[in-house]
Amino acid sequence: MPQLQPLVRPSTDNQTSSSDAAATAKAWNVVVWDDPVTPMPVVVVILRKIFAFPNAKATRLMMTVHHEGRAIVWSGQRDRAEAYCVQLHVAGLQATIEQDS
Amino acid sequence: MAPRHLFIRRRDGRIEVRVAESGREFIVKQMARVAAAESDSAHEWHSYLHAPMNPSADADDPLRVFERQKATATNAELALLSAHEEFINDVEAWAWLTTLQIALRSEMMAQGVFDSASLDVKSESEVADIRSLQYVLFELARVVS
Repeated sequence: MPQLQPLVRPSTDNQTSSSDAAATAKAWNVVVWDDPVTPMPVVVVILRKIFAFPNAKATRLMMTVHHEGRAIVWSGQRDRAEAYCVQLHVAGLQATIEQDS
Repeated sequence: MAPRHLFIRRRDGRIEVRVAESGREFIVKQMARVAAAESDSAHEWHSYLHAPMNPSADADDPLRVFERQKATATNAELALLSAHEEFINDVEAWAWLTTLQIALRSEMMAQGVFDSASLDVKSESEVADIRSLQYVLFELARVVS
């Protein structure tokens, strides 16, 4: 019977340079942009549905979009930011991603 | 007198669609335009459906574009399939909302309405479709959960 020993690999810690860590540390933001035609309750519904935000948070973000022209609605890893951006486009909102400066 | 709404959430969870036949025709026409624009690259609205995700990049991620294209087309098709129903469920209501929202933004782009000022100078007949879509979406947002 074969011995079932856990496979021990060299730690990945020493394979990751500090510059890589710095490059990935900056979060990616999902930005929703204002437009002159979308009804405000529609923006709230879409933000609640896609991000599962409570009504108060979705409403606050919608008001930020309305007054400031844009709002960062989510920050985090790039692939998740892109996926959220796709969902917002599918829902008909103007959205982009950008990396924290 | 109680206000009359286009969509009513019933106690069993279904959403009743109280839209007259002429209104249904308008809604179906808008849904069909979105569905057509997705599959026809020569369609007037096609480019409006594919805004770049990252403005600093020259090209959008093709996999993300494909994902978006597929999801948008699915929503528009589901919306069209349920467009004549007396009652719709939550999934169908979401498909209606997203499809009509895309129609609204595409109409906005086609009309060259990029800010409130350019909307204000348009005549009512020029923005009739925009106003109608806004009204339907406003009513839908009341019942979509």
